[in-house]
Amino acid sequence: MGIGSTQPLLSIRNLTVRFGTFTALDNLSFNLDSGKTTAVVGESGSGKSVTALSVMGLVTLGTRAEIDAGEILFERKDGSTIDLLQCTEREMRSIRGNEISMIFQEPLTSLNPVYTTGDQVMESIQLHQGLTRRSAKDKALEMFEMVRIPRAEKVLTDYPHQLSGGMRQRVMIAMALSCDPKLLIADEPTTALDVTIQAQMLGLMKELQDQTGASVMLITHDMGVVAEVADDIVVMRRSKVVETGNVYDIFEKPEANYTRALLASIPRLGSMTGKSEPELFDLVLEANER
Amino acid sequence: MKAIAVKIFESFLLILAVIVFNFVLIYLAPGDVVDALSGGAFGDGREEINQLIREQMGLDQPFHVQLITYIGNVLTGDFGFSPIGNRPVIEMIAPRIFPTLLLALCALAFAVIIGVTIGSIAARRPTSFFSGGLTVFALIGFAMPVFWTGILLVLVFGVWLDWLPVSGMNNLRLSSSAGFVERALDTARHLVLPTISLGVIFLASYARLSRASMLEVLQSDYIRTARAKGLSEGPVMIKHALRNAVIPIITVLGMEFGVLLSGAILVETVFNWPGLGRLAFEAVLTRDTNVLLAILTMVSATVILANLVTDIAYRLVDPRIRIGDV
Repeated sequence: MGIGSTQPLLSIRNLTVRFGTFTALDNLSFNLDSGKTTAVVGESGSGKSVTALSVMGLVTLGTRAEIDAGEILFERKDGSTIDLLQCTEREMRSIRGNEISMIFQEPLTSLNPVYTTGDQVMESIQLHQGLTRRSAKDKALEMFEMVRIPRAEKVLTDYPHQLSGGMRQRVMIAMALSCDPKLLIADEPTTALDVTIQAQMLGLMKELQDQTGASVMLITHDMGVVAEVADDIVVMRRSKVVETGNVYDIFEKPEANYTRALLASIPRLGSMTGKSEPELFDLVLEANER
Repeated sequence: MKAIAVKIFESFLLILAVIVFNFVLIYLAPGDVVDALSGGAFGDGREEINQLIREQMGLDQPFHVQLITYIGNVLTGDFGFSPIGNRPVIEMIAPRIFPTLLLALCALAFAVIIGVTIGSIAARRPTSFFSGGLTVFALIGFAMPVFWTGILLVLVFGVWLDWLPVSGMNNLRLSSSAGFVERALDTARHLVLPTISLGVIFLASYARLSRASMLEVLQSDYIRTARAKGLSEGPVMIKHALRNAVIPIITVLGMEFGVLLSGAILVETVFNWPGLGRLAFEAVLTRDTNVLLAILTMVSATVILANLVTDIAYRLVDPRIRIGDV
């Protein structure tokens, strides 16, 4: 497995998920260590998001997906370890948003357009911490200040469409961290943002991780983002894990061809000099030949 | 607030335009109430008598004078006199407004509450037997004309089963000393069949619409976020999904209120319901133009008011609309 050999926070073992006849995850296994950022990388359709949704127990809700085999072991806040796939829906609801939180790619569509940002953050706090509305509002305000939302009190009463993309993603992060989760799953959290805001978000997430001690599962296809924030990497392709390891090892000595191609796909200034058309990578050539 | 004030002003102008349009329409129609009144008269003096009546009613005045006089009167709440009813029009209409509004609102509430509920349940499991059954029911509901549904209900629940009254708004044999609750219950029993008859077509429509709307909303990212927070399906469906799913239903509600009132005319005729619809039907037969104009004005004003309420409700439900206040 390469990473997380001692006391992992999350251990996915032999997980297989199918959508009808299509196998979305094929015997997937990897570990995720406490307090670390593990990047799950791979092309679109490789199974990254299905992995995240499987951990959240959301993959089968309202879809045709079926979990065929495997286990997802998670160390809870009280120190006990459970298999998330064996949990009842009630148990999963007490874990979601409380012990494992998730932020999504597109913050505008991920926030409910008809409720204020404050209401949406307070809902999570009230649900898991049993606070009164007043106390939940104070906590939401504290979270907004923590993710450095300017004029936080005003933003509490704003609707999502009244905020910029970066502000919306800060609201999502505040909501995800409001119950002090042990694991934060970030599904391409910077893809919908422009480059300067991406850098701000990554910096903020790293800082908050240091403050809270939460582990982060960062789902991305951007190797630049991985280089910046990840400790460990899980490379996925076609529903399978291709390679896992420490970020330095993978960047320095990638073992799999696919990982090498992924790393080679990072655009570098001047790499097109003297070429009339974009370079085809080994994997594209391989696919064309088939 | 400014947007709502503008909407109210626009609505007022629209009602005025509708009054003018209705007046022109009835003026251009061949024949008038005098023809109906003197329909049985005969002999040499008939034309003179008709002329005399026209002068008394102001029907001999030029069109624009009649129109301006009528609008002036309507603005002061005077809808004229009904030679057929031999009473001021307002006295004939006033007791009919409540029964029609009661029937229309009950049918609307029946259609919306049950339609949205079953549509939402069907959307939870779109491939289930229940969901398929809803599609068949909606098809049947659409296909049944209002008067046919009414006659069918009269036959089944009034004649064969004898469970519910099929005519009027109150039991005529109800003692005059009966209390408010007893009268209300009696009206409720009389209201059941007309409400179902009028509401079923809209119920089918709202059930289909809310199913489609819910299906779309349930695929939204914010529903996934709500579930990721740890919310149970109840709050996810009711708080997060339904409020977004009702937005298209509110739009349709305002537009269909006019259709609902036109359906009320047929239902009132079938169930002998003492509402505006039946009065309008009688006014058409007797060419009682003042009554007909007053009813058309009332109905138009109600539809415009319903659309105004829809606009306001739309803003309340969807905060994104407030930004672009029209």
